[in-house]
Parts: sequence; C-alpha cells; structure tokens
Amino acid sequence: MYQIGNVCVYFAFFLSLYTVAASLIGARYRNRDLIESGRNSALSIFILLIIVSASLVYELINTNFNLRYVALNTSTDLPTIYRFTALWAGQAGSLLLWCLVLSLFSSIVVMFSNKRDIDYQPWVVVVLYTVLAFFLYLITFVENPFDLLPFTPNEGRGLNPILQNGYMAIHPVTLYLGYVGLTIPFAFGMAALISGRLNDSWIRQSRRWTILAWTFLSVGLLLGARWAYLELGWGGYWAWDPVENAAFMPWLTATAFVHSVMIQERNGMLRKWNIILLITTFFLTLLGTFITRSGIISSVHSFAQSDIGPLFLGFIAFVLIFSFGIFLYRIKELESEENFDSIISRESAFIFNNLLFLGAAFAVFLGTIFPIISEAVTGEKILVGPPFFNKVNVPIGLVLIFLMGVGPLISWRKASPENLKKNFLLPMIVAVCVGIVLFILNIRDITALLSFSLCGFVVATIVTEFYKGVSVRSSRGENIVVSLTTMISRNKRRYGGYIVHLGVVLIVIGITASSTFNSEVEATLNTGESFKIGEYELTFEKLETYKNDAKNGTKAVLLLSAGGRTIDTVYPEKNIYRYEGNREINQETEVSLRSTYKDDLYIILSNVNSNTNATFRAMINPMVSWIWAGGIVVLFGALITMMPKFAKRRSSVTEEIGLNAEKA
Amino acid sequence: MLKGKLKFIIAIIIIAGTISYLVFSGVKDTMVYYLTIDELQAKVPEVYGERVRVSGIVVPGTIIKDKNGNIEFRITDGENNIDVKYSGIIPDIFADDVEAVVEGNYSQQNVFNADVLLAKCPTKYESDEKLYESHKESS
Repeated sequence: MYQIGNVCVYFAFFLSLYTVAASLIGARYRNRDLIESGRNSALSIFILLIIVSASLVYELINTNFNLRYVALNTSTDLPTIYRFTALWAGQAGSLLLWCLVLSLFSSIVVMFSNKRDIDYQPWVVVVLYTVLAFFLYLITFVENPFDLLPFTPNEGRGLNPILQNGYMAIHPVTLYLGYVGLTIPFAFGMAALISGRLNDSWIRQSRRWTILAWTFLSVGLLLGARWAYLELGWGGYWAWDPVENAAFMPWLTATAFVHSVMIQERNGMLRKWNIILLITTFFLTLLGTFITRSGIISSVHSFAQSDIGPLFLGFIAFVLIFSFGIFLYRIKELESEENFDSIISRESAFIFNNLLFLGAAFAVFLGTIFPIISEAVTGEKILVGPPFFNKVNVPIGLVLIFLMGVGPLISWRKASPENLKKNFLLPMIVAVCVGIVLFILNIRDITALLSFSLCGFVVATIVTEFYKGVSVRSSRGENIVVSLTTMISRNKRRYGGYIVHLGVVLIVIGITASSTFNSEVEATLNTGESFKIGEYELTFEKLETYKNDAKNGTKAVLLLSAGGRTIDTVYPEKNIYRYEGNREINQETEVSLRSTYKDDLYIILSNVNSNTNATFRAMINPMVSWIWAGGIVVLFGALITMMPKFAKRRSSVTEEIGLNAEKA
Repeated sequence: MLKGKLKFIIAIIIIAGTISYLVFSGVKDTMVYYLTIDELQAKVPEVYGERVRVSGIVVPGTIIKDKNGNIEFRITDGENNIDVKYSGIIPDIFADDVEAVVEGNYSQQNVFNADVLLAKCPTKYESDEKLYESHKESS
C-alpha cells in the first residue's frame, strides 16, 4: 500500500506546480484552455491526497513498522482508533492532514467558482495552490510519511498516553480545519489585489469562509483547553503556552476581521484595513504552524518537532514580502468611499473592537516570541509567563466585553443622546445591579466584579434585542415561539451573531469564576481518613489495582460527601502503561472530575506511598462547565449565521419588520 | 469633520498607549531569566533571591519523594549540577534522565527552591533512532 501512497505524493506535488503554472499563464494570456486544465488538475490533487491519506491510514492500522512514521507513532497494543488518529500525531502526518484539508477547501472553492470568470478566479487558484505546493514539498521531500527504516522493528514506539484521549483525537483536526480555512480568505484577498478587481464581491466570499474557519478555530481552541484540563492534571485549562498562543493569535485577528468586514460590506470603508487583517491572520497561522512544528519556542506540549524550521521561515518571509508588496502596489485603488462621521457610532465601536483585538494579538505575539527577541538583543533568554499575558489581556478583554454590548445597539453613523439613553439605560441598570448584588454577596475582587457586571450588561442588551424583535411580531398575533424562530431565520447573521455573543458571555463568566475563586488542598491520608475542601469532604476508602492489555492501573476509591450526606464516589487513578516500548512516557495520571454547573471538583492521585497510604490534591474550580457550555452556544450561534438562505418568501415583510425593529 | 477625526486620533492614541503601557509593565513585572546551569552558577551571588528558570537533565537515582508530596532531585548539564527542591504537581513525564525545567529561587545554600516544574521528553520526540538500532541488535 505505501508504494501507492508514495507515488501519489510525488504526483500531487508536481500537479500542484502544474496547477499554479497553468492558472498563472492562463490568467496572464487569457487562455481558457489552460485555466480549465489548471482547475481540473486542482481537483485531481484532492483525489490523489485522499489515496495518500488512505494508504497511510492502512499502514498505521496494520502497524507496518517498516515505515518510520508508523514505527514512531503506533504500537501493537494501541487501540485501532488511536492507530487511525496517529495520522496526525506526528510531524509528517499532520502536514499531510494540512495538505488534505487545504486541497479539500480549495477544491470546494474551485468547484463553486464561476468558470467564465477568467480575470479573478484563476488568481485564487494560483494563490491557493502555491501555498499547497509548499506544504506538499515538505511532505514529499523533507518529511515524507512513507520514509522507510532500513529494518523492520518488532514493535513501534507507541502513542504518548496523554494523547490517547478522545478530545486529542478530534482537537487537532478541528484546529487544522480552522487554520487551513483561513488560507481561503487570504487567497481571495490576494487574488483581488493581483487582478485589480477590488470591488467588494471578494469580501463577501471571504467573510463566509472566515466565519467557517473562525468557528472551527474557536471549537478547536476549546477542545484543546478541555483536553489540557482533563489530561494534563494541573487543574487548569489554559497556560499561555506557545502552542496555545499559536492558535489563539490568528483567532484574535480573525475575530477582528469578521467584525470589520461588516463595515466594508455596509459602506465600503476599511478596505485597506481588512486586507491587512487578512494578511496578518494568514501570517499568524503560518507562524503558529511554525512554532508548533519546529519547536523553536520550548513548550510543554509540542509533540512533533523537526528541522523544517528554516524552510518555514523562508516561506513566511516570501508570503509577507509578496502580500505587502502587492498591497502597496494597489494601495491607491483601495481608498475608502466614505469617511467616519462621529466617534459615538457603531462604526467607531467596530474600529475600537478591531484595535483591541489587534492589540491583544500583538501582546500575545510579543509574549510568545519574547525569549527569541531577548536572546537576540541582549544575549540572555528572558521569558514572560502567564502573569504577563493575564495582566495585558484581562483589561483588553473587559473593554471588549463592554463593546460587545455597545456595538450591536448603537446607531450607525452618529448616535444621538436619545438613542443612547433608550438603548443603554436598562442594560446599564442591570450591570450596576449585578455589581451591587455580587458586592453584597461578599465578592470583593475588582476584576471579577467588573467582568460579571459587564456580562450582565451584554446579556441585557441581547435580551432587549430579542425582546424587541419578538414583540413586534407577536403584537401581530403571532405565537411567541413561531415569531422567535422566524425572526432568527429571517436575519440569521444578526441573531446568530447575538447567540455567539451570548456563548462568549458564558465563557467569560466561567473563566472569571474559575480563575478568581478556585481553591486547592493537598493531603496525605491513610485509608479511612478524610479531608475537607470547601463544602465537600473526601474519605479515602481504599486503593484498587487492575490490569488490562495496555496498562496496570492503580485506582483510589474516595467517598464524597457534602453536608453530612454521601453524594458520590470518585476514582482518581495513576496508571503505568505496561508496554514500555520506546516511548518516553509510560506513566499517566488520570484525574477524577466531578462537574456541576456550580463547580468542578478536580481530584488528583498525586502519589501512592503504600498499600494504605496515598497523597491527594483536590481543587475546586467554580463554574468551569460554563466555559464548555458557552462553547456549545457559540457553535450553535455560528451555525445559525452560516445556514444557507432558503427561499426568499415574503422578503418585503421581513424588511418591514426589520425596519420597525430598528425604529422601535 | 476635522474635529471628528481629531477625536478618533486621540482615542486611538489612548488605546495604543494603554496597551503599550500594559505590555511594558507586564514584561517588567513578570520577566524571568531562562538560564542554563552554568549560567546560573556564573551569576552567583547576584542571582540569589531572583526569580529564574533553569533547565537540566535529571540525574538518575537522585529523585527523593517524601510523603507530603515534596520532592528533591539533582539536575545536570553534563558538567555542573544543582539540587532542586519542589513541592506540587509532578508531571507524568518526570523521571530519571528527562529534561526538567524548574522555576524559582536559587538560595544561599545553593539549593534551588522551585515552584514550577515542567518536564520535556529527553530527546526530540521523533528524531531518535538509536532505540531502533538497539532494538534491531537485540532481536
């Protein structure tokens, strides 16, 4: 099987070169046959890459240890599902996945684009397949997943046990779909610049793809956080680790873009700015891949490292120089049609939103590469840790939450004092009330009070919006549920956006509560003894051991009681993987997590001292589950905004009601 | 309209200024030197009491755990060693011969009191083929 895969990798690489050349020459000399040929070869690359991936998966599942990649990432005791996910556990495989996803997205773009358009579309293909050619070059000549070992080992190294987790199986794929998805709007933007067709039609397509990629990126980030929380066993979900930051930075700039793009669509402003955002976002995805893949910045979880670093740096430099060059070439044609009127308007709320997102991205960027800069400048490696990131990002985040409440309600152009009073009086009152109530409940942390009050403010604005829309409809005698669903489906972008904001509020509440009010207790106990954390009491019953094919497990049994009543039994574990193979890690701490909407009880069996004595570490992390719930709400809202338009029945009615809602 | 523009520019300057200030003070307050073991020892005595991060390979057989979750071990860069005391969550990967990264203070007694312990795989995860060669010899 692997021979087929290997041949197909080479074919795919050379076809990508052909695609670029054919589309380029075709576009330059307006040769329809060449352009058509480029499109066809673009589509066939996707088929080739499916064959490549399938043959690698086949070898992984059948553990053909003659292949270096298989020997390094699987072992005979590995369950089939993780043999499959080993496809993206290592360097070569994840680059292959990158190529596969990019060629899938690119094929969709090619298939749904207008064939007759030979001015603009071929340039999209050129940009997309240049990027793809670079990644295909890596897996063909630098990190080929089909490289053979000079011998066949009896056993492979196996997959790191902490990667043997359902979240880890889907998190990288989701993140990749997001990362790679951001290549598409970049290609649209570049093609617009190259072809000189700078009307706003490219921006509409870009927006859709960016929202799709943004959704994958958001979900991927949350899945990664959830994985770290469950598996890394230190009780947190986010550590400002370089690998996490690598995915967070493009998320920040993509978020800025999905907002500023609305202004361009509405009145043609911010055209230069949007191009810069797209270039920055694409640069950050490449940088992120580079950071994760090259291991240049030491991180606790870069699992795949190698020496593709210089190639990557070269490619990043090429992308930056080329895209800013073509941007400067067209800069005169990108003048805005209109100017800003007033600082108190929706436009300016969006501008500030963008500045803050970009500022946050810059701060994260600086903090992440600080060791490299300081070493280059002073010769000493200086790190900035999580306190730096928190110190900078928390204030920015708070202002952004405030703007999240302001943005959707403030008038376009220029907000009058009446508009401000009418829209914001109630939310302001809600925010102040939330603050006062929490203060009475003895919450004295300023950041937390501010954060919760602002969350109250945002929720109040969103609820008012929904209420206004529904009441206009139901005043005509419509059922409330019916009017709510028709209202949302008539204006998916607007209300879907509100639902996304609601999810973000839930996430912010979870982050605020869990980072401000967490507590931790460590105890060494004999069986029968107990310890207290918060309102909970844990009694150490006994230690149990068990064996299965893969591991020797040690499981502590603890009775959990609250208010004198036993409510649950929890089982933190410490496991030794039996087959030591050549993998470096064979011990695994399996935390016990009891999650409610109120708090998470997180218990770690940190050490087994004897058959009857063990050391535990227990933490209470309030409201962590709100973060995951918020993630689901964000996903739901994003899906609504992306839903395709159905038949445009009664569009006049929609507009009329929309107008009424605006006036009301 | 000039007045409107001016307001914008002022607002943007305020935002940029605030973020720059946050970044600057954040770096100043939270920066930590990342040293190798010989750099650390070369910096004695001024390094005493300063927060630093050091990495080194755990010397096999030096890990001592007590019942209260405290741990002591020695790390080396091949020539120089330092003794480390730590209390807290021990990463699963932590063992003899792994690269340990510790953050804390180097005390007058030449013991490193760490409150952060990270462990990295001893080699680059994928590039180590020696193991296979040994595998081949034994089979």
